[in-house]
Amino acid sequence: MQNSRFSPFVSSKNSISKVMLDVIIALLSLCAFAFYTYRIWFLIVLGSALGGAILTEILFSGIFLKKWKGILDGSAIITVLLLVFTTSPLTPWYVAAFGGSCAVLFGKILWGGVGKNKFNPALVGREFMTVFFPLVMSSGDIWSTKRIRYVYEVEWFNFIPNAHWAEFLNELFFVPTGALGEYSAVCLLLGGIYLIFRRRISWHIPVFLLVSFLSFLWIFEDQNLNYSLGGILLGAIFMATDMPSSPSSPTGKSYYGLMIGLVAGLCIQFGAGFEYMSYSILILNGFSTKINQVFMPRTWGTKIDWPKKTEEVFLLTLSILTVTFAVLSLHYYGYIPYLIYVYIIYIIFKFNFSFSKKLHQPI
Amino acid sequence: MMHIPSLKYKTKKQPIAELKEASVYRIPLQSYRSTLLPLVKIGDQILQYQVLAEDVEHQFAAKIHSPVSGKVIAIDEHYISLENDFQQQKITTEIIEFQQLDLERFVQVLKDFGIAGIGGAEFPTNIKYKVEGSEIKSLLINGIECEPYLTSDYAVMRHETEKLLKTIAVLNQIFQPEEIVIGIEKQHKELKKHFEKSFKNYPNLAIRIHLLTNEYPQGGELQFIKSVTHKEIPKGSIPANFGYLVSNVGTILAIYEALFNGIPTTERVITISGNAVNSIGNYRVKIGTPIRHILEELNIDAEDVDIVLGGPMMGKEVADLDSPIKKGSGGLLLFKKQQKSIENCIECGYCVDVCPQHLMPMQFVKGHQEDQNLLSQFNLDHCIECGACEYICPSNLPLMQSIVLGKVELQKMRYAK
Ligand code: SF4
Ligand code: SF4
Repeated sequence: MQNSRFSPFVSSKNSISKVMLDVIIALLSLCAFAFYTYRIWFLIVLGSALGGAILTEILFSGIFLKKWKGILDGSAIITVLLLVFTTSPLTPWYVAAFGGSCAVLFGKILWGGVGKNKFNPALVGREFMTVFFPLVMSSGDIWSTKRIRYVYEVEWFNFIPNAHWAEFLNELFFVPTGALGEYSAVCLLLGGIYLIFRRRISWHIPVFLLVSFLSFLWIFEDQNLNYSLGGILLGAIFMATDMPSSPSSPTGKSYYGLMIGLVAGLCIQFGAGFEYMSYSILILNGFSTKINQVFMPRTWGTKIDWPKKTEEVFLLTLSILTVTFAVLSLHYYGYIPYLIYVYIIYIIFKFNFSFSKKLHQPI
Repeated sequence: MMHIPSLKYKTKKQPIAELKEASVYRIPLQSYRSTLLPLVKIGDQILQYQVLAEDVEHQFAAKIHSPVSGKVIAIDEHYISLENDFQQQKITTEIIEFQQLDLERFVQVLKDFGIAGIGGAEFPTNIKYKVEGSEIKSLLINGIECEPYLTSDYAVMRHETEKLLKTIAVLNQIFQPEEIVIGIEKQHKELKKHFEKSFKNYPNLAIRIHLLTNEYPQGGELQFIKSVTHKEIPKGSIPANFGYLVSNVGTILAIYEALFNGIPTTERVITISGNAVNSIGNYRVKIGTPIRHILEELNIDAEDVDIVLGGPMMGKEVADLDSPIKKGSGGLLLFKKQQKSIENCIECGYCVDVCPQHLMPMQFVKGHQEDQNLLSQFNLDHCIECGACEYICPSNLPLMQSIVLGKVELQKMRYAK
């Protein structure tokens, strides 16, 4: 062949770092609120998780695998921020460092590096923390953060005469309870709008997720259901939209969002406690490849075979629900740790026999 | 589809300039899916516009003619080389009575005068226009040059408006379409007024201008038909069967030369541009002009640059400076060499968003790399190789390489079965 190079000869100015930078920008206001509320406590958790993650990157990606290139692309920072945003400001520093390190190692590096992970690294890190530090992570103490709070409420909207509205707006901007990323619903939304505007995420996943989750709550109207608006928004906008672990076609994304909402609702209903968002997103992460196949866009000029498609979607939904109930049963009997042990063995095997040989392939 | 900075302002305002004749021409024998058979021998004296080669085997592709008079000095499997004697002794061509042209005769004229789709693939126009039996609803004139940098079609529309309309009037008489539509990109909307002024001279034509968005790849035939008529035609089918006849403005100009002046396709307008040159513009160049000659004439230094024949999105890299301009080359572009570092695919889905054929391009990289079943599962056959996916990819994945080589693998797999 005469041609030594393939077209095109121009390219857009996109790069991984630019994508990552936008996500970090979107997360900054949440950092500000976390700092505003818990100051040094937030910095301790963030610092130790970041330290753990970066140390792991240098040790494994750099020294062990000799892939220095990707360390500074910003993906580790996002992983750590998201991880920290799901934890309490009272998380001990060594647990946070362990979480950051596991998120990077078991969530990303062992899959073969950035982009190849099948599960959201931040949530993987979080599950590792829960499983390996069960006493710390599930004690009630860790969430009694009142005594270390610097700010209890804001009164920014008290100038509004109607007290209800003022309170509502104040709380929309700031509620100091829950995990570190959940304090400001407005900032979460603004971050999401920024990312949609910059085309770093598409609206399908968050919108369908919220719609299906809220309709679930509405249908099974149950006062005891315990969820936090901030947590849901964090999950819908930042966790579920993690690029590598979510599907790529618009219809696939819509279905994926719908199913996360549904599974999250089921998890709450059947007693998964605080874990409802992590479980639902991780379960759907596992089906992402399959969703890409079933919800492949309709190729130009071709027709969709509706009966076949319906059957595929039906079977897919059935398997997602089966897995959900299996996970919920494991949760009920306290067997989730074994799931994590299996994951560890699986990923190490996979890395050893397959992923490590493909480190230099881009996909 | 997506927006790409078009960079057409660089050459848009330039008139069509002429270029000094070269002393040697190399006439390409490769044609659309076939190789033409030379009709001349080394040492033959030839006249300008004489037929040099034709598709003897399939009687399918358009013939190719000599752009100058002179002598045949070499023939190999790819080129016939001519030495120009600068005498411009023309062969006498017949005068075509286009008032009484019927379809059969017209198609023969197209073939004899070497007219091929000028938009890149060089699809023989005589095949496209062979529409016996199918009613032509719309005659669509494609003035969308969606490739960045290129303005040769623009220059033709701007400066050869009369010729285009005269030819369109003949086509109208042969095909009797219900309507004629000229598609133009919004970024060139000044052309709309320009055309409409001339429409007054053709009261019998049901013709209109359709403005389309500046998206890439709007100019691809399938995308163009959809944008103008809302009809989605599958890849590989013949538009005429659906009642559409699509021709590029450059092709219409070539038909004009054949019908009104008896001149076969021996030259075309190309854009010379890129980020590594200054002397840029639109030039009328003879088919077979070696690229080296153009660079020398325009004092372009070709050290350390990537030279591309065609557009930046779908063009081919020029490895040999002695290779010539072909019927389908819309541009000669020079780019500064750039290093792209390939990162991991982050599954951002941008390639899926921009693919005009609604494919999932990243799957082809995986398919080419390890699991060939993915290639057919994700419909690689439907790819039109527009390059949009690789353009947008933040990780610079070798998508086009996987696509081109993947198609070869797919062919092999089919043969094996
Ligand atoms: S645009 Fe590139 S990085 Fe993004 S999904 Fe496609 S191939 Fe992967
Ligand atoms: S897959 Fe083919 S048709 Fe789709 S964007 Fe890439 S080159 Fe164009």
